[in-house]
Amino acid sequence: MSASTPPSGGIELSLSPIERTLLRNLQQAGRPELEEAISTATGLGIEAVRGGLQRLKAKHLSVVDERPTERGVLTRRGEEAIERGLPERRLLDRLQAAGRPLVSAELVPESLSEEELPVAVGVLRRHGRLAPGSPFALTEGGAEPTASLPEEQALQAAGRGEPIAPEVEKALLRRGLVAVERSTVRRWSVSAEGRQLPVASSDRPEEGALRPSRLRDGTWREVELRPYDVRAAAPYVRAPAAHPYLEFLEEFAELLVGLGFSEEEGPLLETEFWNCDALFMPQEHPARSVHDVFHPVGLEGRLPDPGLLSRVADAHEGRTLPGEDAPISTGWRVPFSAEVSRRSVLRSQTTAVSARFLATRPRPPFRMFCIGRNFRPDPVDATHHVEFRQCEGVLGEEGTSMRELVGVFRALAEGIGIRELRIRPSYFPFTEPSVEGYVRHPRLGWIEVFPGGMFRPEVLRPLGISVPVAAWGIGVTRLAMVRLGLNDIRQLFEDDLGRLTGGD
Amino acid sequence: MPQAVLSVGRLLERLEPAPSPEELRADLFLSKVEVERWEGDALTISCTPDRLDLLCESGLRAYLDGATGRSGGMPVVNEHSLPPGEFLEATERVTPLRPEVAAVLLHPPPGTALDEGMIAEAVHFQELLHATLGYDRRLASLGLYPGGSLRFPLRYDLESMAGLEFTPLGQDRPVPVEQFYAEHPMAQRYGAMGRQGDACLTLRDAHGTVLSLPPVLNSGAVGEIRAGDRRLLLEATGTRRARVEEAIALLALPFLLRGWSAAPVRVKAPDGVRSGEALLAPRRVELPAALIARLSGIDLPPEEVEGLLGRARFAFRRGAEEWLVAAPPWRNDLLGPVDVVEDLLLLRGVRIDEGYYPPSPTVGRRRPESRWRRQVGGWLLGLGFTPVHNSLLLPADHMARLGRTEAIDVANPTSAELSRLRDALQASLLASLGRNLRHGYPQRLSELGPVLRRDPEAESGARTESHLGFVLAGEGVGFSDAASLLEYLLRRCTVQGVREPATLPATIPGRAARLRIAGEVVGELGEIHPAVLEFLGLPVPVAWGELDLHALYPLLGGPTDSAPAEPRATAAPPGDGPTTEI
Repeated sequence: MSASTPPSGGIELSLSPIERTLLRNLQQAGRPELEEAISTATGLGIEAVRGGLQRLKAKHLSVVDERPTERGVLTRRGEEAIERGLPERRLLDRLQAAGRPLVSAELVPESLSEEELPVAVGVLRRHGRLAPGSPFALTEGGAEPTASLPEEQALQAAGRGEPIAPEVEKALLRRGLVAVERSTVRRWSVSAEGRQLPVASSDRPEEGALRPSRLRDGTWREVELRPYDVRAAAPYVRAPAAHPYLEFLEEFAELLVGLGFSEEEGPLLETEFWNCDALFMPQEHPARSVHDVFHPVGLEGRLPDPGLLSRVADAHEGRTLPGEDAPISTGWRVPFSAEVSRRSVLRSQTTAVSARFLATRPRPPFRMFCIGRNFRPDPVDATHHVEFRQCEGVLGEEGTSMRELVGVFRALAEGIGIRELRIRPSYFPFTEPSVEGYVRHPRLGWIEVFPGGMFRPEVLRPLGISVPVAAWGIGVTRLAMVRLGLNDIRQLFEDDLGRLTGGD
Repeated sequence: MPQAVLSVGRLLERLEPAPSPEELRADLFLSKVEVERWEGDALTISCTPDRLDLLCESGLRAYLDGATGRSGGMPVVNEHSLPPGEFLEATERVTPLRPEVAAVLLHPPPGTALDEGMIAEAVHFQELLHATLGYDRRLASLGLYPGGSLRFPLRYDLESMAGLEFTPLGQDRPVPVEQFYAEHPMAQRYGAMGRQGDACLTLRDAHGTVLSLPPVLNSGAVGEIRAGDRRLLLEATGTRRARVEEAIALLALPFLLRGWSAAPVRVKAPDGVRSGEALLAPRRVELPAALIARLSGIDLPPEEVEGLLGRARFAFRRGAEEWLVAAPPWRNDLLGPVDVVEDLLLLRGVRIDEGYYPPSPTVGRRRPESRWRRQVGGWLLGLGFTPVHNSLLLPADHMARLGRTEAIDVANPTSAELSRLRDALQASLLASLGRNLRHGYPQRLSELGPVLRRDPEAESGARTESHLGFVLAGEGVGFSDAASLLEYLLRRCTVQGVREPATLPATIPGRAARLRIAGEVVGELGEIHPAVLEFLGLPVPVAWGELDLHALYPLLGGPTDSAPAEPRATAAPPGDGPTTEI
């Protein structure tokens, strides 16, 4: 946008009849004119002239020369003085009428107030009309009739809005008879652009928008279509775009599809059975406390199929599962509570979806993924939010091992353009071995993004799965932040139209 | 992850040759320990919660000894036994409050005694075990006492506090126990676990001396260990026997690894006599050889397996097709053979170059329904609607002002801003409009996402629905805009809906409707009430519409998902197929 381009407004250069009259007047005047003079010349009211000239200026068609001025104006006291006569006039008139010197008692309060007498005496003595001393006596010149005193002349001039002599003005200001009014004198002239703009001389009415009705009946011929300021800024157009975070998740999902994984979903409100118990998380695990899981108010959950519940309880307590010869392990060696199992919680890990999927006893080989929301009561800051997404995945078939798990990590890292990967031990109650994959970020260094492991037999066997299953729960929220160059997780919950549409 | 601050001096004591800082960091990278800070002698580490034994100097040194090949095999645990009269009696009165108790007596090697370093290590480790395994002392709490003047049998009881006096640790004068419970900071924090009415838990010796008020505090008179002590009592009380026993084994670790011997104390409890021998007994696991290959994907030669078993600080004996593995008593993370395999694989190192992604025997696919949902969302994008992404959790007062009173509240929110679960996208979209006041109008927003609605039939008491919602804000916007859009979307889906008048939250009466197809409610729409607009500061009218895609999809006759999100009603036990042999 160039410097001469108007800063805002529509592209239509709309001139009202008043504006056209004013512009024509300015074009003809050839020199700066006062608003009052323009008003007289055009016959328009002063307010209409002022408004119209300002609108022309906004359209870059007129320019104004503004100069601040000051002038004396009558105060209420000054207006009263004009009406009653100044105190010095009343003293002069009284002494002339009396024809002899007078004492104060003969003047106050009939002719003057006590406050006015010293002022009037001072003024008349300064003008040489009153002799010094008391009683008050006129000088020789003072006895002669006088048309008006300088103070009277100045007061009258102020009443007419005319300038007055500065020394008198100062005295009147002190006496509170006049006040200073500051104003701006504006002289208007046509701008270079305005001088070149042809002002319609036609008497046809002017219109902005071309109305369909005029096209239908042909009356468009009877109107003038106003010219537009073709350089004016156009209205802002917002072009919606896909949400960058959701786009990244889609891209990641398609990457997994390409690797042979099928998508699953699960409920966001779960029972503790699916969120924790089926995953062999001990019922007294710290990650199941109110500090780590959200609990809904007033909801009652239901227990799963009794057989499934019983097998999961057996695994927790280290008992032999029905149809097996020995316990899978020692278990957690604490009593399992069905009451805990039935409690409703907001899903804290998408691994719950894996548990539900495995409970359907899918036929091996199977590869499943789920990208879903999870909730944990973390304090919200730049790196934590109560809501985050995980990409859960399982890979199950005879022969699946840690090698395949690491292979998945490698494939996913390469899929999103990450080359450096390393793996170190980790811990999850439901996998053994458990590992954590780290990727190298150019700015943040090594960051952990690929947690995973082999599902424990205490998870698989109660759910009816007999093949080894590799599982992971990738922090796709963190990966998205890396990919999108974000430093604050709250930016993922973006709803600012400016940023989403690539504008301001 | 639990954290501990270790003394580097004590950690590297007797670790020959001492590793450089770089070597130590590299060794720890392959363990479950992570170095958080290292300032002078203070090494702050965190560790995964399964390996609490690594959070004290002795435990971590034992790991490093083995992992780096400095020494191997299971550390020797010296045990001795106590005369029959040296036992601990737990009365029936403790059963309702804190029934579990276990204890061992610890003796130093000849010519040695307790030193300040051991005291520091034991006290730090004790507090860490309270906070983690003990669940802030609720499941288990530990006490260490000088054993020199103790007289057996010990008695664990619930006694009336009336007339009972106690010298709190750190003080030199006895105070009435009632006063202790009323005033002492430790009693205020843990007292509820150790008292019932006007009675409290006590541990006394045969002299009648009160050793401690479990699980709150030891006696300052007879319960404070000091450098030079040559006999220590280690006891634990709690509500879970397994955790009490694990706590004893873990806190005994710093002593046992310095050659101290331990004697289990017999416990005579109302439910029987426990010898305590299991407290310090090695954990025995039968490790099938095939399981190692099954989990690792690598055929490790038996010699390599045995080398790794030794480095993992296990004792072992080779059988025909398995190893009989014995682990120290403090390895409470070993529930079964897969846990032993993990130790071996992690010690060997999980190598990136051994990763192998096999050709997929399956064809990957998106769920047809999710693919369709994205397609429908794309139609709105094409109509100029900007997709937004909001949290499911919203401020309860915002939802209340919209009249969405059926939405589910969270019992333990972290802030008022995230305290109620949306039951419609309307609430999120209106909040988004409220955050975009500076951008001028018209505005068109859409969101594709889940909502939660109460449903007594659902397993958790609420069902997750997938919705597509939109709002239009601008001069001249009204109900018909929302109606037109929803009709357009349905037309694209090749179905027709019927609008019926409805009273819906946040809408103008008489300008809201439900959308039905074949009797099923599949959507809602309306013009937003001016009171809501005023509340949000919106200067223009707003029209809103929302489709329940979960309800709509089955009505379209499209492909359904082969694997349902809900499991079968009955998941039968494994059949005759191959099983995970362990």
